[in-house]
Amino acid sequence: MIAALICLLVMLVLHILTPYWWWVMIVPFAYGAGAAKSGGKAMRTGFLSAGLLWLGSSLYFVLTGSGIIMGRVARMFGLPASWPMVAITALIAGVAAAFSGYAGYAVRALFKKT
Amino acid sequence: MKWIRAVVSLLVAAAIFWGLDNRHGTVPPAGKFLNPFAGFWQNGTRGDALPASLVVPGLQAEVRVAWDGRHVPHIFARNDHDLYLAQGYIAASLRLWQMEFQVLYTAGRISEIVGPVGLRQDLFNRRFGMLWAAERNLSKVMDDPRSRLAVEAYSAGVNAYLKSLGKKALPVEYKILDYAPEPWSGVKCALLLKTMTYSLAAYNQDAAMTVMRDALGETVVDALFPMEPPLVDPVIPPGTAWDFQPLPFPRPNPQKGPEAGSRPAGASSAHGEAADFAPIGTRPSPDVGSNNWAVSGKLTRDGHPILCNDMHLGLTLPAIWYELQLSAPGINARGVSFPGAPLVVAGYNENIAWGFTNGTDDVLDWYAVRFKDDSRGEYLVNGEWRKTSVREERIKVRGGRTVVDNVIYTHQGPVVRLKGEAPFPGADVPEDAALRWLGHDPSNEFIALDGLNRAKNYDGYLKALESWDCPAQNIVYADREGTIAIWHNGKYPLRWKGQGRYVLDGSDPANDWQGWVPRAHNPHVRNPERGFVSSANQKATDGSYPYYLGSDYASFERGARINEILSAARGVTPEDMIRMQGDVLDVRARAVLPRLLALIPEPRAEAEKRSFDELRGWNFESRAAFVAPTVFKQFWNDLNALTWNDEKKGAMERMSWPASEVMVDLVINHPDSEFFDDKTTPGKETLADIAGAAFRSAVSKLEKRWGPFGPGWRWGKAKGTRIGHVARIPGLGVEGLEADGDGHVIDAISVNWAPSWRMVVELGPEVRAWGIFPGGQSGNPGSRYYDDMVDAWLATKPDELIFLKSAGEPNPGIVARTTLRGGK
Repeated sequence: MIAALICLLVMLVLHILTPYWWWVMIVPFAYGAGAAKSGGKAMRTGFLSAGLLWLGSSLYFVLTGSGIIMGRVARMFGLPASWPMVAITALIAGVAAAFSGYAGYAVRALFKKT
Repeated sequence: MKWIRAVVSLLVAAAIFWGLDNRHGTVPPAGKFLNPFAGFWQNGTRGDALPASLVVPGLQAEVRVAWDGRHVPHIFARNDHDLYLAQGYIAASLRLWQMEFQVLYTAGRISEIVGPVGLRQDLFNRRFGMLWAAERNLSKVMDDPRSRLAVEAYSAGVNAYLKSLGKKALPVEYKILDYAPEPWSGVKCALLLKTMTYSLAAYNQDAAMTVMRDALGETVVDALFPMEPPLVDPVIPPGTAWDFQPLPFPRPNPQKGPEAGSRPAGASSAHGEAADFAPIGTRPSPDVGSNNWAVSGKLTRDGHPILCNDMHLGLTLPAIWYELQLSAPGINARGVSFPGAPLVVAGYNENIAWGFTNGTDDVLDWYAVRFKDDSRGEYLVNGEWRKTSVREERIKVRGGRTVVDNVIYTHQGPVVRLKGEAPFPGADVPEDAALRWLGHDPSNEFIALDGLNRAKNYDGYLKALESWDCPAQNIVYADREGTIAIWHNGKYPLRWKGQGRYVLDGSDPANDWQGWVPRAHNPHVRNPERGFVSSANQKATDGSYPYYLGSDYASFERGARINEILSAARGVTPEDMIRMQGDVLDVRARAVLPRLLALIPEPRAEAEKRSFDELRGWNFESRAAFVAPTVFKQFWNDLNALTWNDEKKGAMERMSWPASEVMVDLVINHPDSEFFDDKTTPGKETLADIAGAAFRSAVSKLEKRWGPFGPGWRWGKAKGTRIGHVARIPGLGVEGLEADGDGHVIDAISVNWAPSWRMVVELGPEVRAWGIFPGGQSGNPGSRYYDDMVDAWLATKPDELIFLKSAGEPNPGIVARTTLRGGK
């Protein structure tokens, strides 16, 4: 849980400072490669940290003026309602982070003594 | 095992990365796009906030901007340079994506954004010489220090905004389509003007007319497409004396005749599907139209002239126009402008007001070219081979190879479509024909706009008009001194009557344009006896005007209705004029319906009976809630189809039907016309037969389409007005509007063409004005100001426009003030 929180905070800072989306893959990968105890943990941490970050931040932006654009983008994708955009956003980040966290762990496992 | 796991999981992660970092078809790159910190979530209403101060590099002095509650900037600068720079900066801050997309489209560069699907459209725009036209235009713009200053400072302003813009704040369309803006420049201002020139001054049916003439003969063509159309009340009141001695105009070569036959010009059908990426409203269309009029103080309640203008263009979001006020020593203009070009385009200042309708003249001719061989290196002129020139066009394609096209030019212009090539979508282009188009000639409309923005009186207006070449416009005028006027104004080639109606023989120099109609000879009228001037894209003059300007104008209805109302008007108020812009009386229906209903046998079927009663009880108003307009529209359509489609067979398939005034004239004055006979049957049909059949078929079609007779047939629903996004991105437009009006009534709201700016200006001691447009000031689909004016526009309820005398003037409508300062 603490690992997820740290990952989340690191990604938050990087997102604020730069326009790149792929921190949600790089940071969990680094965690998986550097600290995760198991593949499952790496996946869960990635999913939780990135998913929660994008969920929370997209909710924050909805509440501070992005409601209109959320509705329009939802219509662009042919969705019947606009709130699923928040879930999709969180899910995309979570899934990308989970797989890259796992990949990080798998790479580290190559060099780990059994 | 570990290796496999590592490699597979890395591959999966890499695939996810690639998948989320790239666009797939029309799906934006999900990672970039959904990133809450830089993707679409950033395009919210926070962008609507107006800072108290901004650093804008390049400014020489402080510029003060007052923003009113409709998000309209009132820009006050100390010199012209700063004024244009600030306009460029603010236009970009409101509409950056739209202005760039429109010019990239016109330049034939859309494939750079959308990939190979844009190639055909790009090739067309390159072949049509759009970029060539803009470059020639720019060279003339740069020759005059005033327009040079306007275009250069404006571009610097756009670029200052671009520099200030981080990736996160990019307009959402860049994120959807996944590309980035490039620096602005003068040629882009010129391209923007050419976008409009193409849309307003390139409509032609020359190739189709040629095919039809060869099949039916010139007499029939002249009957169906008369050069002096019936029922039309011209822009210049009939009987107006021409205050000039006309120049002699050229004559066709007596030995050969002027025109090429249809065979060398190519006869295959050229009407394809509209390209997917053509911005809405950029195609020439017979629906392009507008109204303007000015009423003299003699007819108004308070004795002040009132000028009105509503320009009908493609309905788009972001809107075609944005509103602004431009003020500096020597200029204080208010109105609307195109994002991407300096100055106010249509509007008013402290002394005068002006507005536009399209002149709709013919300034585009096709010349059939005889090439020596397939290399097209030489072509025949006056019995001798002359060398063609070549312009290399390089079309970069996203995700593909650059396409190089060598466009052939004769002395007339570019050869747009080569023999054997597939037709271009939405354009009727003859094969192996050179294009002579006034839009290609160097001109400087910015100087005309500069003159109008600064004009103090009629002389200033007149001087400004001298620089307005193309697209020709009916430019209406009124001032505080009480003058009203209208000039049908543009640069016109000197031609014989009908020259260029058909594809011309390009090898005979007698067919080339031989000179120009002198400016002072353009049709015009000032302070006419009747107390008003008006135009609605109809033919400018009656048959007494000595020059030939074209033969394919708007049909008679809007012009007739405007003149009918104004002829009876006394004690006019601005409120009356606002109401008049929303007038929906269908003059066409009023003219023909009683006659047609009298001819239809008593209907028996329920839906037919009720439709018949609905039409009989109709007050001829095109109201959204009425069923009658829906029935009449379909009835009229089927009446035309049954009348013309048999004549068209093999000859007119590519032509639009004859103008409505021709049909109205036939119904009222020539019910026995041969045209009503259905040539596919052995018997002889009359108007009564055709009308009955058309009525029955119309009702049956409506039942199939909209279900049983009832409110489900209402006009607003059947018409289904929508405001589409410029790049046709779903979700970013407004769908399903139920609107009063129709293309041929004053409130000309059709499906996706409509009044793009409604303006009423009263020129009293203090100029007062009202205006509204179908959209909003912001180009950001996530902004509160993206489509906030749509409802008021739909209801014809314009806002009173705030017009400040000075930057600091207190006004309760001003909600924010921004100071722009130059930086390093």
